[in-house]
Amino acid sequence: MNEERKKQLLCELDKICSILGPSGFEWRVRDYIRAEIEKNMPSGAELFTDKLGGLYLKIKNEGAPKLMLSAHMDEVGFMVTEITERGELKFGSVGGINPLVLCSKRVVSENGIKGVITSKPIHLQTKDERSERTEIRKMRISIGARSRQEAEKYVSVGDYFTFEHDFRVLSGGRIASKALDDRHGCLALLNAIRELAKSGKKSRYELYFAFTCREEIGVSGAWCASELVKPDYAIVIESKAVLDLPSVGEARAVGALGEGALISYADGGAIMDRELTDRLVSVCEKNKIKYQINRAISGGNDSSNIQRGAHGARVALISAPSRYIHSSTGIIDYKDFEAICDAIYSFITAKED
Amino acid sequence: MEKIRELLKKICFLPTVSSRELDYKSELFALAGDCFDEMYEDSFGDLVLVVKSKKPSAPRLMIDAHFDVVGFMVSKVHEDGFLSISPIGGVDARVLGASGAMVYGKERVEGVFTSTPPHLLKDSKSLPKIEDIYIDCGEDASLVEVGDIVTYKPHFTELLNNRVSATGLDDKACVCAMLDMAMHIDKERLNYDVYIVISAQEETGKGGARFIAYDIKPDIAIVTDAFFARGEDIENCDSIEMGEGAYIDASAVTDVFLTRGIIKALSAREIKLQVACEPSRTHTNNEAISIAGAGVRTALLGVAVEGMHTPSEIVSLEDIKSLSGALLEIAYGEWL
Repeated sequence: MNEERKKQLLCELDKICSILGPSGFEWRVRDYIRAEIEKNMPSGAELFTDKLGGLYLKIKNEGAPKLMLSAHMDEVGFMVTEITERGELKFGSVGGINPLVLCSKRVVSENGIKGVITSKPIHLQTKDERSERTEIRKMRISIGARSRQEAEKYVSVGDYFTFEHDFRVLSGGRIASKALDDRHGCLALLNAIRELAKSGKKSRYELYFAFTCREEIGVSGAWCASELVKPDYAIVIESKAVLDLPSVGEARAVGALGEGALISYADGGAIMDRELTDRLVSVCEKNKIKYQINRAISGGNDSSNIQRGAHGARVALISAPSRYIHSSTGIIDYKDFEAICDAIYSFITAKED
Repeated sequence: MEKIRELLKKICFLPTVSSRELDYKSELFALAGDCFDEMYEDSFGDLVLVVKSKKPSAPRLMIDAHFDVVGFMVSKVHEDGFLSISPIGGVDARVLGASGAMVYGKERVEGVFTSTPPHLLKDSKSLPKIEDIYIDCGEDASLVEVGDIVTYKPHFTELLNNRVSATGLDDKACVCAMLDMAMHIDKERLNYDVYIVISAQEETGKGGARFIAYDIKPDIAIVTDAFFARGEDIENCDSIEMGEGAYIDASAVTDVFLTRGIIKALSAREIKLQVACEPSRTHTNNEAISIAGAGVRTALLGVAVEGMHTPSEIVSLEDIKSLSGALLEIAYGEWL
């Protein structure tokens, strides 16, 4: 393993995960990615955006089949729905979050105001309340304000919050952070763009790197991406929720951390294109890139809408097996992430099948 | 306020899970500084700091806050970096998912409490049991052994109005107030020999405070502990207001004359105490201390804490200052 590359990628992963970008508020992530791409554009490349705020880099290759590689910029988060008389913030989730990962988590607003998600302490709960999950509607964000009037100086109804950023590397190069879903995918694309610019290699495809919006709220940004690009082929780079805990059987676990890039022939949202997926697998084989095949059909992502958008596209899905996604602390394995980076770059620069 | 903030932060970063209090004796004694005439510990893990009055054979005032916090013990180390855990003290399994953990193995090992993402939830009703929650330490947990202690990952998060969030504010906010009070004592005005007790194993219900009270034989004892902060769905009768100063508890298990005497005397000095009512029991150390030996007159004071027993409790530094001031007035008062 290239330690220098690892250090640099981890450092940048930390940075890109730190950016607040819940669905509908992706612009800070987009601005970061755009600035990074502009530092070193591959030749024949062109940047543009769609009307939802998605960002695209096209690398011209007239007459060649169009291949779109995509990752979504948005993360799950929260929106303030009410400020109470006492200065507490009621909120709703942006994207699907298991309420069990919310109580006691530190959160931060788009303006940098820190808060803690609290609810009635267990000591004061009734028997009924103790026997059920605390609903998000019964939680609140405490920012320390004493009144609505004071809270309104710092926060407005409609403001976004996300989990506090606390990036760390656990034993064996496991990465723990918020927003790894799908910023690691964004970084894998960014990395491929840089390597293309550096090597000057040409792809046999006309390449479109797409950074999409609103994946977490119904994969809707992908509609616009497919309409705008009308790709022949599309590879989606994602986080795939796995549950490889000791108590969970291998079949239900979906995949395992550290076993390589997770390639899906199907998931809960789409049955992928067999031929394109086979080609992805064979590129991994040829280049000795560690991969694993998705073992259980679950979850969905941009691949479903890209497959069915515009005139339809042949899609494949490559993911980092991810634990505890949609929480303050998802975990992926650096080795899997690096395998994805290598697989994508190898795929787009492969001479022929 | 800055002094209290720094002191509280340092106390909160000591991982004193019940039964491991003594491991951090020297750190705590160092934080307490040199304003004490005597410092010692008992066999159970209680730490005692004494400030003597200038008056000969002064009566003894004991002030207690518990040092311990809830935590976990490793019950099994799995091959793939997961740990099974057993709770030490009352832990709500519903607040653990995705929280950070710190494991005190051969070295400190960071981990995460496991949780299930919405994509893979089988049903959205059933409650997690502690047996189904692991600590994920990454690829391997070879630095960890069965019996090692686990805490929530320590943090110190600043909110508005001098409020902070941290782990273990129950009862380290009160430990902080006691130490701050001791640092401000004017011995000339002291009517009592003050025994500051930083007691062990409150959270497990084993109450080290009782044994140490038996040894000290205080003439009166003040217990300090956290009480529920008011909130949108919390009734006024169950809670006190954060940022409005320290509280004193009215309960059948505290001494009614001492409690009312303190309220009256402090109010005459314009120190306002909130009154928390727990008509029957308080479930704090004051119960244990009050029946040590032939009985001890006790009062219960403290500060509001939000999110009790979660990894992110919240307290107001101003309330800690208020509690420190109230304790000082009590030490200068006449209660016998």
